[in-house]
Amino acid sequence: MSLTLNIPRLETDRLILRGPDARDFEPIANFYADESRSWGFGGPMRRDEAWRWLATSIGHWALHGYGFFTMELKDSGTACGLTGLWNPEGWPEPELGWVVFEGFEGKGLAREGAERARLWAYTDLGLETLTSNIKPGNHRSVALAERMGARFERSYENVHLGEDHLYRHPAPADLGLNSDNDGSPEAYA
Amino acid sequence: MIAPSHAPVVETEDLILRGYREEDFEAFAGFGASERAKFVGGPQDRWGSWRSFMAGIGHWTLRGYGMWMVEHRATGKVAGRVGMIFNDGWDEPELGWHIYDGFEGKGYAYQATIAARRYSARHFGLDRVISYIDPENTRSVALAERLDASFERAGEVLGHPCQVWRHPSAEAQ
Repeated sequence: MSLTLNIPRLETDRLILRGPDARDFEPIANFYADESRSWGFGGPMRRDEAWRWLATSIGHWALHGYGFFTMELKDSGTACGLTGLWNPEGWPEPELGWVVFEGFEGKGLAREGAERARLWAYTDLGLETLTSNIKPGNHRSVALAERMGARFERSYENVHLGEDHLYRHPAPADLGLNSDNDGSPEAYA
Repeated sequence: MIAPSHAPVVETEDLILRGYREEDFEAFAGFGASERAKFVGGPQDRWGSWRSFMAGIGHWTLRGYGMWMVEHRATGKVAGRVGMIFNDGWDEPELGWHIYDGFEGKGYAYQATIAARRYSARHFGLDRVISYIDPENTRSVALAERLDASFERAGEVLGHPCQVWRHPSAEAQ
């Protein structure tokens, strides 16, 4: 079977998490053009590199069955960031990542989206652990990871990014998610 | 959401042009790591090839067309890739062909490229397309000539100098 895409649509109070598509190119190109915002996320990148990154992130869904969602504001439909799971060849294990585009910080949107993506990873995908890889010095991301209960585990050498810090998220059981009889974790109703 | 991400199947006498499968990756990475990839942006390491492989899939979603995997019908092996490339930074959609080790010199590149060119003209509305060719890539220049493409101008793609060749209309073929 050739690879296909099957990307869910998730909701929070303020956000829709949906699959990436061509509409996301301009906000992603703007994000990657800004080194001060994108250095912790593989940036900065030229416009053509950002296009390729978007294509790569779509292919990631096809190959792995998970990837980055585009976070969209429910009330306006505006793309305000990315969150989801990333695990390309060479990565230590699947990681939960997040970025918020310019003008959308300080509203708790990254946490709202990332916690929804983490819940989906545990309850729908059945993952039993999750990490977040954070570049040393990315204090905003460390603060969010810690607010989400993640703890520093170790430093490692990332194949693309160099020295990187691996944070470990609470396991499903630590979040009050349970395993049902077939072994897959399920949220308490 | 279910988006069409994979290529339609196009068959020729010896080849099947189709979408990507996970098991295609080893052949893809092998080509990417080889000296022969130097004309198409390589060579690159395994991690780079993984990203290129994913980008090849995502290209279909972003543009509605892309490069097919070329399967050798008799052996089931991956013989290369062929199809349309329109990454950001390209002047216009480009017809490209990569033939993997062991499948050159058998006319497969011609067979696959003719099929991809015709399909793209009919179904994607991409006719009289270009190919970017490094002038040192004499095999590709020879194939372009055999495909009745003609040299149009010296150009560049992403800062790399290369020749722009123009294909004839494939609508009527």
